Amino acid sequence: MKKQIELTVNNSPESIEVAPRTRLLDAIRIKLGLTGTKEGCGTGDCGSCTVLLDGKPVNSCMILAMQAEKREITTIEGLGSPTELHPIQQAMIRSGGIQCGFCTPGMVLSLKALIDRDPHPDEESIRVAISSNLCRCTGYSKIIDAAKFLSSSETTSMATSSEDWSVGARMTRNDGVEKVTGRAIYAEDIQLPHIIYGALLRSPYAHAEILSIDTTEAEQITGVKAIVTGRDVDMGFYGYELRDHRIFALEKVRYIGEPIAAVGATTVDIAREAASKIKVEYAELPAVFDSEEAITSNAPLVHNDANAYEIDWDTERKGNLCYKLIIEEGNIEQGFGESDLIIEGSYKTPEAHPGSIEPHCSTAKVEPDGRVTIWTTTQKPFVFRSYLAQALQRSINSFRIVPTQIGGGFGGKLFPSVEPYVVLLAEQSGLPVQMTLTREEEMSCTLLRHPSSVKIKTGVMKDGTLVAHQVRMLFNTGAYGLYGPNTAALASMMATGPYRIPNVEITGLVTYSNNVPCGSVRGPGAVQLAFALETHLDKIARSLEIDTLDFRLKNAWETGDITCTGQTLDSVSIKECLQKAADALEWKKPRLPGVGKGLACNWWASGPWGTQTQIQTNEDGTFRLITGCVDMGTGGLNSSILQLAAEGLGVPIDSIQLVRGDTDSLPWDHGHGGSRMTFTIGRSAYEAAEHLQKQLLQEAAEHLEAAIEDMVLEDGSVFVRGDKANAVLISTLCYNRHKKHGGPMVGVSSLLEDFPTTTKKHPIGAFPGASYCAHAVELKVDEETGEIDILRYAAAHDVGKAINPTGCEGQIEGGVAMGLGLAMMEELREIEGKVMNPNFADYLLLTAEDMPPTESILVEQPATEGPFGVKGVGEPPIAPPTGAVANALGDAIDINVKRLPLTPEEVSSLIREQKS
Amino acid sequence: MSNDFEFTQPIDICEALKCLNETGRITPIAGGTNILVNMKRAPIETDLIIDLTRLEKLKNISEENGMFRIGAGVSFADLLNWHPGGAVEGLVRPMCAAFAGPLIRNLATIGGNICDASAAADASPVLLALDANVELVSTTNGSRTLPLSEFFKGVRKTAREDNELLTYVTFGKPAEGERCFYYKLGKRKADAISIVSIAILAKLNEGKIEKVHIALGAVAPIAMRALQTEAMLIGKVLNTSSIQEAATLVVKEACPIDDFRATAKYRLNMIEVLVKKGLNEILSKA
Repeated sequence: MKKQIELTVNNSPESIEVAPRTRLLDAIRIKLGLTGTKEGCGTGDCGSCTVLLDGKPVNSCMILAMQAEKREITTIEGLGSPTELHPIQQAMIRSGGIQCGFCTPGMVLSLKALIDRDPHPDEESIRVAISSNLCRCTGYSKIIDAAKFLSSSETTSMATSSEDWSVGARMTRNDGVEKVTGRAIYAEDIQLPHIIYGALLRSPYAHAEILSIDTTEAEQITGVKAIVTGRDVDMGFYGYELRDHRIFALEKVRYIGEPIAAVGATTVDIAREAASKIKVEYAELPAVFDSEEAITSNAPLVHNDANAYEIDWDTERKGNLCYKLIIEEGNIEQGFGESDLIIEGSYKTPEAHPGSIEPHCSTAKVEPDGRVTIWTTTQKPFVFRSYLAQALQRSINSFRIVPTQIGGGFGGKLFPSVEPYVVLLAEQSGLPVQMTLTREEEMSCTLLRHPSSVKIKTGVMKDGTLVAHQVRMLFNTGAYGLYGPNTAALASMMATGPYRIPNVEITGLVTYSNNVPCGSVRGPGAVQLAFALETHLDKIARSLEIDTLDFRLKNAWETGDITCTGQTLDSVSIKECLQKAADALEWKKPRLPGVGKGLACNWWASGPWGTQTQIQTNEDGTFRLITGCVDMGTGGLNSSILQLAAEGLGVPIDSIQLVRGDTDSLPWDHGHGGSRMTFTIGRSAYEAAEHLQKQLLQEAAEHLEAAIEDMVLEDGSVFVRGDKANAVLISTLCYNRHKKHGGPMVGVSSLLEDFPTTTKKHPIGAFPGASYCAHAVELKVDEETGEIDILRYAAAHDVGKAINPTGCEGQIEGGVAMGLGLAMMEELREIEGKVMNPNFADYLLLTAEDMPPTESILVEQPATEGPFGVKGVGEPPIAPPTGAVANALGDAIDINVKRLPLTPEEVSSLIREQKS
Repeated sequence: MSNDFEFTQPIDICEALKCLNETGRITPIAGGTNILVNMKRAPIETDLIIDLTRLEKLKNISEENGMFRIGAGVSFADLLNWHPGGAVEGLVRPMCAAFAGPLIRNLATIGGNICDASAAADASPVLLALDANVELVSTTNGSRTLPLSEFFKGVRKTAREDNELLTYVTFGKPAEGERCFYYKLGKRKADAISIVSIAILAKLNEGKIEKVHIALGAVAPIAMRALQTEAMLIGKVLNTSSIQEAATLVVKEACPIDDFRATAKYRLNMIEVLVKKGLNEILSKA
């Protein structure tokens, strides 16, 4: 029975009506409207719902509201206001401890509780205090810095002040205040009058024919407002370069969790119950899960005719083979013939999850004109619009997408997840609809990182010179291709790593299976291949008894080298990265027993896809920066893009407002992903700023009746060189211009997709703004239990030019954390298509206690394309940690690692295998 | 909705016991950190939830006549801040530090951890090594005390009658000079569910083993004592050969399963390794 309860929230007495099963979290978010408290899992595993209960930090998802009666609750809203931030909130902003911001409220409250009981905590206490609060973005280092900053005068990597905004300065992010105070609006914080909630009916079978669907019983449940199945919709196929996916299973289901029907109802519980009452008759079909088995000729067919799907690239498809490519250079057989030694190895990586703490969530509303507005958490609002148009066979103009703050993306928010369903339910019910995936759905039904099986055969000379390299890569894309071909194409470019090898044969295969489909997760293809290749290189070095650093340096690319796809490289820095990472860990110093050091490298592209940036004047001399790109949390848009715009214009950064809009109002952009933010949007913003500055100077020249060449822009005004006394204010120029012409001056830059040329036919072929990195790790291994203790870590990254060094380090540290997770604990395990660990209790992300002390080393070898020579740094740091850890293990105890993750059991069994 | 239930919040033990006598399906809740996880995954099958968090009397730890008495409502965070010294502290504190994370430690209670009766529950091996008893009270049977080893009956099954309230965990203060060892093996450093956990309490007299308790978690349907291994060790000199003998024997006593966290084979290997590690550490402290 519902009951009125009294409790104190943020020092003010509240009285709310709650049901017995209402959680404290729901009471706070829904009854009290305090949406700074977030739900990431609902099972006490992530900490994003942290509140203080009588001063102690707890998970508000683990408490029934009635249990909290007469108790004191503090939420993030009770801590500090934008004008009066709590010292911890200030420190978090200044340290760069905030990225996507979804974990931030919980993190801040856990730190507050710590500081309240121990004003001068040591680093270990800080790590322990936040070990329940998972952060997927930062790698915790800068959050720990924030807490240290509070208790000491330590100022390492702190932004000096928000006034210093020049290129190269450590700038605080533009959206820090709203995130650290819990005011930032994420997808699930969108609330509309008369809103209803959606749920999906998903397939319990990995492979089955759908014989019938009966929704009669579900329709009769009170509160149900809409039910949609694949039979009610004119569905189209969508995807990236391959379009093989529809939003509902129609004739058959191809994986466990595939959507069959969507229900909208007045509450989530009713929607779920109704979904469970939809009767579906299935006829189970033989299924295939293993990738090697899937490509045999007698395997059950996941798609009856894979060739029927549109694909933009030439390829061979048959049976379950979804995509195939081959790269050849030199003569592989001759190369092996000339080699002194041939080393072979097989390497496997498991399925992995992007692991954003924020689950997928969208809200749709049909507007009076019949168009649909969709508030959603997406990395690519414009590309989403076209996916939706393809999937629902509509015009792109049918949708207006309003991007909310994104609680972590990592590639997991590149494809529609719940968007098509909320659209359909809103249209059928006439009501606004919101759908949020549960953590379980998130982990078992959303797009994953492709598992891989890589076989490498390498010919090498006794002196360590690489001669021949044959690689066969097999990716299991699950039930749908979506991003499978692209993953293989990218991986094929990683197969030689940043090393010179004259004779190469690389085969990439992508197979369908009845597993959960895979998508594009941070560094697609790079993670899998960097692990395989870098581990393999150490195996070779150990066989040759050559130091692994020397071996890499001997074969590493230099400027002017040509890749196996025929790209001539113009700004290569891999040797510098290697040397710096190795030096940071005193590479040649002898190791203690059980201790090993490992190295791994990577190279990667800076995404070049098209965009347009506009900068407009306001009549008071301030500016509006307009881009259709969103910031998935990295801070690129909210710091370095603004820095570049301010630099290009020559005006203070706080005079530039980043415009928030939607796909109706903003110019088209490809979206946030592919390490493109600062490289592409940054370049575009800088060019737009220069374009606008010219107009300002022209306006000033007319005003001052002098030549434009003699104009100097400085301190908010323009003057004739040498005559600052008669300067004209920028605000005056803008006011005059608006008055005279009734409109703003507009600086514009449109960039088209731009890839360097290559000599070979390959779907990608070349990496624009190619970046290089090398990581070094020192670890200790317990040879009996197999437990690994990472002692310290160094990551050297060529970022071309660090526009905001704090932001670059944030990407590196976050990537290292994610990469170390993949190295040691992350694995989504399916048994016959069923995900066995769909939660954060068993799909483990690194905690603050696991994150080693990490040195981020910024190398600046300018690229030819980006602004100031910028190279992307979003994805690169995730690839080397797996290989580095594997190699450090090999160094410590002379074992050859073959697969990930290196759990205590895996390490222990490798040791036992080697001993016997 | 089919999963509607009632909620009641007794403020003393007497009232709580009355609530436990209500008809229908009853679920007592303390920290809630297991029950709310289950509720999130599927509708809970209950008619009444009895919230035990207001039973202030059960939030105390006392020591009387060499016996420690821990209220069932004591949280893991409170236990972590408890400093009884000696082998008790040597076992309880590292276990609490390894228990979930700081947020859950502020909610989860010792009584709840025991009553949930997971084979991987962190508190169980430590309490078994300390030869703990549990006190149960009901309006029908009054008060009874039974050894924790008899409380665990099977996978998530206990000897608690539906109308009984677990009120206290008690154990004697180990004698001066008793040594201990605790180890939890998990997949990460914080907030991990144990693959294997072990607690050892031992007393040596002139090199000979006078007393030894070896308790294991996550290697059998319930947390268990390795009684045969203990019996074999009693009276022996603790040295490399007896340690090896114990490590070999303990493997025969456990019956772990394969699950997502580890295979049974690895768990068996690890109890061998950890018994050796633990007894060696106890020997080295001599």
